Amino acid sequence: MSTRNGFLQRAWNGLLPWLVPIGILLVWEASARFGWLSVRILPEPVAVVKAGVTLAASGELWQHVKVSALRATTGFAIGGGLGLLLGLLTGSFRKLEIALDTTLQMIRNIPPLALIPLVILWFGIDETAKLFLIAFGVFFAVYVNTFHGIRSVDPALIEMGKSYGLSGWPLYREVILPGALSSILVGVRYALGFMWVILIVAETISAQAGIGYMTMNAREFLQTDVVLLGILLYAVLGKLADVAARLLERRWLKWNTAYGNGI
Amino acid sequence: MNIDTSELNRVKAAVAETPGLRIGIGRLIKRFGERQVLHGLDLDIDAGQLVAIVGRSGCGKSTLLRLLAGLDEASGGDILLDGHAERDLIGDVRMMFQDARLLPWRTVIQNVALGLTGPKTEIRERALAVLAQVGLADRADEWPNRLSGGQRQRVALARALIHRPRLLLLDEPLGALDALTRIEMQRLIEQIWRQHQFTAVLVTHDVSEAVALADRILLIEDGRITLDETVQLARPREHGEAQFARLESRVLKRLMTIEAINSRNQILGKVTGILVDSVLSEVQILTEAGLVAATVLTRSLAEQPLELGAEVLATFKSNEVVLATTA
Repeated sequence: MSTRNGFLQRAWNGLLPWLVPIGILLVWEASARFGWLSVRILPEPVAVVKAGVTLAASGELWQHVKVSALRATTGFAIGGGLGLLLGLLTGSFRKLEIALDTTLQMIRNIPPLALIPLVILWFGIDETAKLFLIAFGVFFAVYVNTFHGIRSVDPALIEMGKSYGLSGWPLYREVILPGALSSILVGVRYALGFMWVILIVAETISAQAGIGYMTMNAREFLQTDVVLLGILLYAVLGKLADVAARLLERRWLKWNTAYGNGI
Repeated sequence: MNIDTSELNRVKAAVAETPGLRIGIGRLIKRFGERQVLHGLDLDIDAGQLVAIVGRSGCGKSTLLRLLAGLDEASGGDILLDGHAERDLIGDVRMMFQDARLLPWRTVIQNVALGLTGPKTEIRERALAVLAQVGLADRADEWPNRLSGGQRQRVALARALIHRPRLLLLDEPLGALDALTRIEMQRLIEQIWRQHQFTAVLVTHDVSEAVALADRILLIEDGRITLDETVQLARPREHGEAQFARLESRVLKRLMTIEAINSRNQILGKVTGILVDSVLSEVQILTEAGLVAATVLTRSLAEQPLELGAEVLATFKSNEVVLATTA
């Protein structure tokens, strides 16, 4: 009896967060059906689904998603990788911090989107410009959090590691990196969110493929359903990236009771 | 590099058949900026001895231990281990800190095996063996934050033991534990020390702990050794025993006498007047130097009542003394 109750309780808890979105969808669908909402302003959910199915069936949708995802991950890999590397260096070596940190903090205050005119002049409107913008936007989130993470590793643990004969790379691997990891992952999650924002802007400026291209194209032909589909796709991809980051946290920070469940 | 020298020393130790390191400290000086903590300290410790260092906080006992561990550089004087410079044998010295300092992102057994190199299965076997010695073999694969304070210190002890140290330094490792766990841990440390026969230096503020464990008790006051007492009680020692209690009270008394005869900023006197007010009260003390007034919280006076004519010791910090030249 109690296990049955437990099951119902869990099912209800699982369902609860979805009640509001489902309700909104129902109201939306109904208002479109009854003609309260013009299809030009907001197409009904079913139309969006239909547009998705059609585009998916023709393979066009996957093409766009693939291009966008590749663009985002490449830009992220470049910017995030550089941010991680420089953060590790300035965090670990006081001299490098003095030499580089002021410059980086100055550049950090430039909004990436303010660079768009310059980036177009430099790289034209092709792929490099988009990758540059994404990498630039992502870089600082990872850099700042990595630097901070390295600096906030408990000095008592580093001292312990040294007194147990660790130095150089082993000390880094056993003590410093794991100690900085939770902060680094915060940076990665933040950077992933930022990555999509910049991708959207970069793709709507000019593109020959990608979700942004698809929606801009659809706008020209007044295909509101496809525009909406594009927006939804961004949401889904953003959520997926976030889930991936959470999985990394669970896996790498499972020793921390705030993540994972211990053992 | 490190591993090689300690391996070599292990062979040397096996040849010499003395697992413990002999310590020779000569005119050891340590300054932190302007402040001098150790004033030319001399100390010899025999191989295999368990020496307890007691003293008030800030007296320099932890500084001495950190110098022995090679965590800080001495400002002057020298430390010899078995007659060699400290650096050569530092791989044979291990430290247990007041907080266990376990890596929270490594499991218990990974913490114990920290800094060891070699085949994985062999390391795991060795780590399990030392964990068994401290009674925690069944917790090997758990995270440190699942353990109690006492268990964490036992893991820290295992982590030190796996290196087969010839000198084990203990910096108030039991300070944060409850009374019962403390006595348990003292027994464990004693048993392991007798088994492995390393030299051990224990810093503690607990005189009864020093009496329970040490061959020799040193009192450090103001960066100097002011008491050196050899303990000749049979082991294992029981806290309730009469001899134990007698020695403990003797050391405590000596500790207090030494504080009393140390005339620096301490004046013995008699209470001649107590003026009680709502918040602050004034206690007047007649000393050889004249009348001294002490302002105390009325609340603390209520908690620790003073009587007229009671003998008290007035102490004050040296940086609070104002000097004026007399015309």
